[in-house]
Amino acid sequence: MGWLAPGFLLGALAVAVPVWLHLLKRSASQPKKFSSLMLFEPQRRSTTRRRRIDHWLLLLLRVAVLLVLAAAFAEPYVRGHLPGAAPAKLLVLAVDTSASMRAGTRMADARRDALAVVAAKPRDTQAQVVALGSRADSLTEQVQDAEVLAAAIRGINPTDARGSLALLASLTRTLAAGTHMPIEMHLFSDMQATGLPPDFNELRLPPAVSLVLHPVGAATTPNWAVESVAAPSQVWDPTKTRIVATVAGYATPAATRTITLSINDRLASQQSIKVPASGRASVVFAGPDIPYGLVRASVQIDGRDALPADDRYDFVIQRSERVHGLFVHQSSDVATGLYFGSALESAADAAVVLDEVTVDQLRNRDLSAYTFIVLSDIAGLAPAVETRMASWVRAGGRVLLSAGTAAAQQRRIPLFDAPILGSHDYTRDDIRFASVAAVDEAYAPAGALAGWQGIKVFYVTRVDAPQAEVGLRLADQTPLLLEKTLGKGRVVLLSTGFDRLTTDLPLHPQFVAFIDRIASYLSGRGSRVSALSVGDSVDLRPDPALRGSADVLAPDGTHPLDLRQAAQVRTWPLPAAGFYALTLADSRHDLVAANVSRLESDLTAASPDTLKLWQASSDRSTLAASSAPVTGAPPIVRDESVHNLWWYAMWLLLVAVVAESLVASRYLNSLRESS
Amino acid sequence: MQNLLDPAVLNAISGLDLVAATVVDGFVAGLHRSADFGFSQEFAEYRAYAPGDDLRHVDWNVYARSDRAYIKRFHGETNSQLMLLVDASSSMGFASHAVSKLAYVRFIAAALAYLATRRQRDATGLVVFGDTVRDFVPPSSRQGHLQRLLASLMQAEPQAKTSYAAPLTHLQTFLRRRGMVVVMSDFYAPPADIVRAVTPLRVHGNEVVLFQVLDPEELRPNVNGSSMLIDLETGAQLEVSEDYVQGRYRERIEAHVADLTREARRAGIGYHLLQTDQPLDQALMQYLRLRTGRD
Repeated sequence: MGWLAPGFLLGALAVAVPVWLHLLKRSASQPKKFSSLMLFEPQRRSTTRRRRIDHWLLLLLRVAVLLVLAAAFAEPYVRGHLPGAAPAKLLVLAVDTSASMRAGTRMADARRDALAVVAAKPRDTQAQVVALGSRADSLTEQVQDAEVLAAAIRGINPTDARGSLALLASLTRTLAAGTHMPIEMHLFSDMQATGLPPDFNELRLPPAVSLVLHPVGAATTPNWAVESVAAPSQVWDPTKTRIVATVAGYATPAATRTITLSINDRLASQQSIKVPASGRASVVFAGPDIPYGLVRASVQIDGRDALPADDRYDFVIQRSERVHGLFVHQSSDVATGLYFGSALESAADAAVVLDEVTVDQLRNRDLSAYTFIVLSDIAGLAPAVETRMASWVRAGGRVLLSAGTAAAQQRRIPLFDAPILGSHDYTRDDIRFASVAAVDEAYAPAGALAGWQGIKVFYVTRVDAPQAEVGLRLADQTPLLLEKTLGKGRVVLLSTGFDRLTTDLPLHPQFVAFIDRIASYLSGRGSRVSALSVGDSVDLRPDPALRGSADVLAPDGTHPLDLRQAAQVRTWPLPAAGFYALTLADSRHDLVAANVSRLESDLTAASPDTLKLWQASSDRSTLAASSAPVTGAPPIVRDESVHNLWWYAMWLLLVAVVAESLVASRYLNSLRESS
Repeated sequence: MQNLLDPAVLNAISGLDLVAATVVDGFVAGLHRSADFGFSQEFAEYRAYAPGDDLRHVDWNVYARSDRAYIKRFHGETNSQLMLLVDASSSMGFASHAVSKLAYVRFIAAALAYLATRRQRDATGLVVFGDTVRDFVPPSSRQGHLQRLLASLMQAEPQAKTSYAAPLTHLQTFLRRRGMVVVMSDFYAPPADIVRAVTPLRVHGNEVVLFQVLDPEELRPNVNGSSMLIDLETGAQLEVSEDYVQGRYRERIEAHVADLTREARRAGIGYHLLQTDQPLDQALMQYLRLRTGRD
């Protein structure tokens, strides 16, 4: 006999409660008024007598209730057959549907083995079929009907998902928690080594589970794959574009492979590459002809191998015109424009044409020609100009303000609509400067950049903007980078200047990255990625407040979102490889590419020792066919049927509770009569 | 008629005067069938009229027949004085049933006052005391005095501690006539101290009687398991066990009663233990017994 959940036996410690209560009831009672205590003496009873327990029978029953309750939760079991009881267990048939199961006849073998297990199943044994892809999908309820189980198994097909053996362990733990029967888990999989989690503890099985492994496919299968493609997500000058593709071979001999780059399903370039045995090689496609707009690009290896799904790598490139930005400064300020413009030109992905004007020249500028505007330490804007700029921002424009020494002399920050509380000149303090102490990692313009702690800020303008989102904060909690929404537009405030007098930011390499990132942010280009993996989620609702409808056009030409999902869902996982045309909730259109995870490309199976260790993680696991692949016949499973006594414990608990109630009622009546 | 002397029955009667009348009338009705006791209405003897005698008591029939004036005398006609000392300390408020000790004492005092003033024409006074004299009604036999006594009894509420020395010393100054002093209390004090405090009341030949009024629960407490008791007078708390209450406490209360009885007898003081669940006739009987003995 043993316990399936022995941790619950700690609940038996609760028996101390009724014992304590019975003692407490005896030693302490309701105060009772009496004429005079003159004739009473303090008790001089012995400790033993004082601690004598009344109502022994009641106490014993209460202790029994708690003990049986703890035992029921701990789920006692016995091995072997109970007299007069049929062996009961739950058979779970988990079929791996990850992308690697597309290789060769793996899926067919898995289906065949699973059907064999169903055929050998005792008629009264309940079973359940589970498809194990990126998630565990129950294809049937827990049923005894072999036909239902077989039909579900026949309907299983491989997917593009990444497999994880840890998912099976997690599923097993969930099933064990929800059922009071021992579980016999059968896994039909290629047992990919890459499917093992980094931490072996994630594979640990509950005690009541016996694991039977049904490996399919060869232990080692040669396979080539386009491992990765490094390509810019946005380009405006294709002649400068470089696309680097890496081809990897797994258990493969040295070979020369032909790599093809396709743009919008048209051959753009083709190169041959020598891939070493079980090694990697890269090929560069320089200056491909990329049309304007969102472009479907893919790199593909010629020929066929064991797993065609990873021979192609899809990605998306967006070609667009360079955006125009306007840099506005005081007429006396000639340095900041130089710093800002130089940083923008130095950025590798610079896609901004920056016009530089003084604040006086701003009056005659047509703002609609610009994607964003930078106001560098502007002492003030003419009311008409500010009104015009505010209207431009509300319509979707974006502004970056820097509040240096000139802006700090004003009462409020224009456009940002926040009063100036004052300024702080750190050079007059002992510390001479302030450092950045807090970075909001989720704030795109600043969060992803490192090295903020090395920036020295000498002068800062303090504003009262409690509603603003703060991206950077100084050590004295003064906000350094803030953002507010104005209509459809955004206003970003740097509470110091771009000059070297107020901060040494322009002297640091982070300045170029920061200017490039914030220019991208202000121009609305964001940080789109060129390719995703199957299972990754796309954001269909960048602004959760928007109530618009989203739509997805899948590679197979279907619209997978139903009406409720289209109206409500914010993120959506990509279920299969290919290109997805997205219509976001804000009516923007996007295109994403999903690829099979390259962890599926290595078809090498986990070592038998590892699998045996996994099976041994449950002390009731059964050593099955891990060392000898199953070829038709069901594995021989030792009869170590475990019988859970939980049900009997619950009956015993019921009896104890009823007895306790009767005895307690009797004592209660006697107490009432005596009182 | 005995039922009318049951404290539980009397407790249901709202007016103390009605309680007193009910008790005494019922008691007297029972006594009329007894040969041992008579009341002032019962003829005792004739005595020659002397100047100063109340003309109302002259037997005019005898005078008409014999031309001599005789005074008709009755049993108990000799006027006496009855002082009722009522302990109204907090402990007297204890009750394990419908009648508290103070309520029981009220019944006794009211009945005695009624018996003394209406039947015996004795001057009756009242002292309500706790740790001090809280109410004092001088002895009198005037008409309407009974109502004053009953009103004072009604106003007596259990409060404060008990002190026998100060009230009884105070009372000595008012006892100028020979009579009876009835002290009603639970007497939770050392018996020697109680008797020492009461003994001076025997000046001028007063008869002193102690009525120790106890609740049955005080004599035979019923405690289940361990109980925390709170002293009604001091507020002190004490945890007592069932074993102690069933054994040692009963021994101590019985010893206390026995000591008080012995000390009182030794000092020539009457003593009676009254339980609040018993009829009141015992107290009345004791009063009449003492008064008859003094005639």
